[in-house]
Amino acid sequence: MSLIIRNLSARVKDGAQILNGINLEIPKGEVHAVMGPNGSGKSTLSKVLCGHPDYEVISGSAELDGQDLFAMTVDERSRAGLFLAFQYPVEVPGVTNANFMRAALQARLPKGEELDAVNFYKTMRSKMATLGMDTKFTARAVNEGFSGGEKKRNDILQMMMLEPSYAILDETDSGLDVDALRIVSDGVNAMRAPYRSFLVITHYKRLLDYIKPDVVHVLYKGQIVRTAGYELVEHIEQNGFDFLKSEE
Amino acid sequence: MDFPQNMSMEEAFALAEAEAKLNQALSESKSRFENAVLPNRLNEDWRFGRPHKYAAALAEQLLSDTPSQGEAEVEHAGEAAVPVNADDEDLRQTEMLMPTIGSDALLGMHLERFGNGYALYIEEDTNEPIVIRYKTNSLYTPSTYIMVAPGVKAHIIEQHYGSEKGTIFATRNIQVAEGAELKVELTPYGCARSMVITNIQNMGGKVAHYSHYFACDWAREETLAEIYTPGSDIQLFSANHLDHHQVIDQHTRQIHHVGNATSNLLYKNVVDDSATAIFAGNIYVAPGAHHTDAYQSNRNMLLSEKATVHSLPGLEILADKVRCSHGSASAPMDEEQLFYLLSRGIPRADALNLVAYGFLQDVVDKFNRS
Repeated sequence: MSLIIRNLSARVKDGAQILNGINLEIPKGEVHAVMGPNGSGKSTLSKVLCGHPDYEVISGSAELDGQDLFAMTVDERSRAGLFLAFQYPVEVPGVTNANFMRAALQARLPKGEELDAVNFYKTMRSKMATLGMDTKFTARAVNEGFSGGEKKRNDILQMMMLEPSYAILDETDSGLDVDALRIVSDGVNAMRAPYRSFLVITHYKRLLDYIKPDVVHVLYKGQIVRTAGYELVEHIEQNGFDFLKSEE
Repeated sequence: MDFPQNMSMEEAFALAEAEAKLNQALSESKSRFENAVLPNRLNEDWRFGRPHKYAAALAEQLLSDTPSQGEAEVEHAGEAAVPVNADDEDLRQTEMLMPTIGSDALLGMHLERFGNGYALYIEEDTNEPIVIRYKTNSLYTPSTYIMVAPGVKAHIIEQHYGSEKGTIFATRNIQVAEGAELKVELTPYGCARSMVITNIQNMGGKVAHYSHYFACDWAREETLAEIYTPGSDIQLFSANHLDHHQVIDQHTRQIHHVGNATSNLLYKNVVDDSATAIFAGNIYVAPGAHHTDAYQSNRNMLLSEKATVHSLPGLEILADKVRCSHGSASAPMDEEQLFYLLSRGIPRADALNLVAYGFLQDVVDKFNRS
């Protein structure tokens, strides 16, 4: 069981092509990191996989445990087990975190079955404690007035509540201080399991020091140009991405 | 005029002067109604409001032989509530002196049908909200008077039920004394026609006013919030979800007669199907009303290509050293918000409802916190 991406090319709707034939396979139980310079297509890849309406697939395919990902709507992809922790989580005024999560979990239940409210709040409070979040956040509007770090923690909280099979973390480390980075990483590490995979998108080694990847990919000009183990992270940390230009 | 025995000469002159002013105002008011013409397209305050259709239909109903009839109920008011009586000349005069926003003729017709509703003289904190309920299945023209004594905290909910598509045309005079805190909710429901003219006079207290129109075919709301004393604060809120061919036509005035006071307005509408939302607001800061803080924001979420919004925020500032702003934003639902909900597996229909609900709930949250 894997997330398999084959020859994926995509562009901004009515705009420039960003992804140029990506091939990637992420088996269950593994953590893959995608690194790359600014503008290489990392965030585009995550958004295309989740079905963001600003992007369109030109060619190629993606399979989620054998299912055609691109044949599914955005919400179906999520319920099928895909999760995206956003680079810039959105504010949703007037919708409390609790109502938001209840709606997301209710959508996963069989028709006619009601979410157990008591158990829901108990679970949510427990996960919030793990992430060092004040339980008052349950009654606050989603991300409204949150600091950058609080928004990222809130996304990780959602991931912990929804328990996806495949989680994409899009620059989750940006905007986090050292303590928050450790807490968020601990949360992610606690979720590592043989039945779950992660695709960690980042510019920096520091996140990957906490969340050790099994495989590291380098994305450049919309293509995976290098795949290796953790030693690739060390190489990039020391040499930057300039080596990519010399290989062109 | 009879003066009390123990009154000084200065007090007697002041009283006589006040009475002369009142008589002058009443005389002017009389001519105001006599000269008033029905709202028409040339009237700026009815711009976009299709007066030939809606105001004319209401006027026709008010001028018809249809009696004003409905039920008036009040709960949790104790001895504070007094039924309005047609013989109460003071209250009648208060209504005569009410300002409107382009609807003098309609107010004159309301006055002709004067004589029902409640006056609330609130001299103690309310433990639970006082509920006033007006119901009709035909035509009803109630009046509400709210007077909150100095330092008193009160919460009032005024509900209008137009069962079987009744029409309710209500006037409301609200006076808040120094140090008082008043929260008022207005919720017209199910009316074929709903018209509400409200005059808030704040003499140094805090007022938060919230309106929510539900399932009304046509609603016209005129709210004049006046600040007479430094230290006053007025917060105006409204949140409405319109669909089918519903029309809401809201007009506001935040009038700062004196400085060192604050007012704020947040009106939001979700407009679906072929519904129409009209907002025209004005902040007026009188000459010399320095150190005024006044804000106004009208936001609309359009869910249909046939939905219509007219938003006309305005400022008229005749003093220096003020902080005032106004803003308006009307747009379809934020795609990023919708995507965020969808990306968590919430089905599209539920996500649309949740974002629209949240857009309006934001107003309710702010009112609750005010």
